[in-house]
Amino acid sequence: MAGADGASTALQRRDLCARGIRLAGKMRSDVVNLLEAYAERQGLDASASVAAVEGVPPAAVERWDEQTSTQRLLENLAAYRAFRALLAQMLEQHREQLGEADAALGRALAAVLLQVSAFAYHLEELLRLESRGVPGEEEEEEEDGLPPQPHSLFEQKLRGLGVLRELAQWAVRSARDLRQLTKPSPGTGSAPSLPESP
Amino acid sequence: EMHSQYERVGADVTMKCGSMDWDAAVTWTVNGTDIDESHLNGSYLILKNVNLTQTGPYSCYEGSSWHLKYQTYLRVGTPPKEPVLMCRSNNYPKGFYCSWHLPTPTYIPNSFNISVIHGTKEMVCEKDAVPKNRCHIRYLQLFSTVKYKVTLTVTNALGKNFTTLTFDEFAIVKPDPPESVVAKPVPNNPRRLEVSWQNPSSWPDPESFPLKFFLRYRPLILDQWQHVELSDGTSHTITDAYAGKEYIIQVAAKDNDIGTWSDWSVAVHATPWTEEPKHLTTEAQITETTSASTSSFMAPPTTKICDKGAMVGSGAVAVCWTAGLVVAAYSVLFI
Repeated sequence: MAGADGASTALQRRDLCARGIRLAGKMRSDVVNLLEAYAERQGLDASASVAAVEGVPPAAVERWDEQTSTQRLLENLAAYRAFRALLAQMLEQHREQLGEADAALGRALAAVLLQVSAFAYHLEELLRLESRGVPGEEEEEEEDGLPPQPHSLFEQKLRGLGVLRELAQWAVRSARDLRQLTKPSPGTGSAPSLPESP
Repeated sequence: EMHSQYERVGADVTMKCGSMDWDAAVTWTVNGTDIDESHLNGSYLILKNVNLTQTGPYSCYEGSSWHLKYQTYLRVGTPPKEPVLMCRSNNYPKGFYCSWHLPTPTYIPNSFNISVIHGTKEMVCEKDAVPKNRCHIRYLQLFSTVKYKVTLTVTNALGKNFTTLTFDEFAIVKPDPPESVVAKPVPNNPRRLEVSWQNPSSWPDPESFPLKFFLRYRPLILDQWQHVELSDGTSHTITDAYAGKEYIIQVAAKDNDIGTWSDWSVAVHATPWTEEPKHLTTEAQITETTSASTSSFMAPPTTKICDKGAMVGSGAVAVCWTAGLVVAAYSVLFI
């Protein structure tokens, strides 16, 4: 039975990873399009260097190849939960500032927010499959709430650019992370599991 | 003591004979050959508007004693123009390399210094032994949005110049072309060609960083390429080849998610399978089999000639030339 369960889990993981990779690919494509549209609407250069934005999880990682499966899933999940909140904030600002004036951009933002939420859920499923606890969001929010919004409109626009650019980077990283998960590994790592969600 | 001096092309050069007075009687030589007195101003050697052919050893001897008073090696050259710098990652995610060259030679020795900055961090670019104008860097971070700034400075005795490249991690990813491209006809399929290839050996982890491929093919007699993009696998069957026509086929590779397409692979040639022409039953042949007299009709040769140019790698395509002529006639019907 254990053998059959193990095989079944492995198949489920592969299936979830494969779907996740496709989700990440679509998400990246949509984020890149949104990034270009956002930069154009806001009068910014999409390729301009933007300093690290407070509260935006950086995709950059050292020793990426040495990460365990659990580390990958936990870091991805924390990132997408943060992006979910950041994009919701951007969407709210967009509606306040522009209302219906730029409905297309609003719809594109909403669509990406939906994909980010779906991906976060997908990661939670993978973590459950790994028999790891899914970290509670309430605890994360108490510890790392969204930083206060910049006052100036220009700073808000730059911040939005930084959010989208980092999200595009994460989408590439996530696809790579999920591919690593499908490779046979020595173990799921020694990272401590976080408290179960209530 | 042999001195050394560098002068620009077109410059006027004055050489002093060491500590000799201006009015001392001296003889100058270049490469062991006396220099005409018309180039002298007292004991000074004057070379106007120097050119590259004037590079060489110059010596000054005291008049009658022929004591060597001064030696210098003159090198005529130019200060460096802005160097051409290229950076590329063909082994992502391990690292990237940068290579450079000067657009025009300087004819004198140059030294190159490269600096690589990622954010606030200076990284070391390790020079390759071969080729000399290349260095490589290992990525310390992946998936960074912070750009890399590479500055190459070239210096020689006559001046210096530099160039800077700024790029992000994904933009410079460009695999090497696919390797071992093989194209084979498919037996009993006059319109098919089976193409296979391998990932470039320089791509370290195709499982985690899969490549996608672009195949292009055309018959030699036409200029227009057909294209097929393939998101996975390292083989493809062409199903719309013109019967009997020799094809040229190439493959390119790209990381599934980032970067740019590789250069095209080495081209391979192949011709789809063609049916062996049925033995022609003509009166001449019947006559040949029943009498010993020679006939002007020649039966198709039984020895096949292998077209070496049709294949790369294993396998072989046998093309019978006379049969090919017959097939060519038939193939006109298919176009």
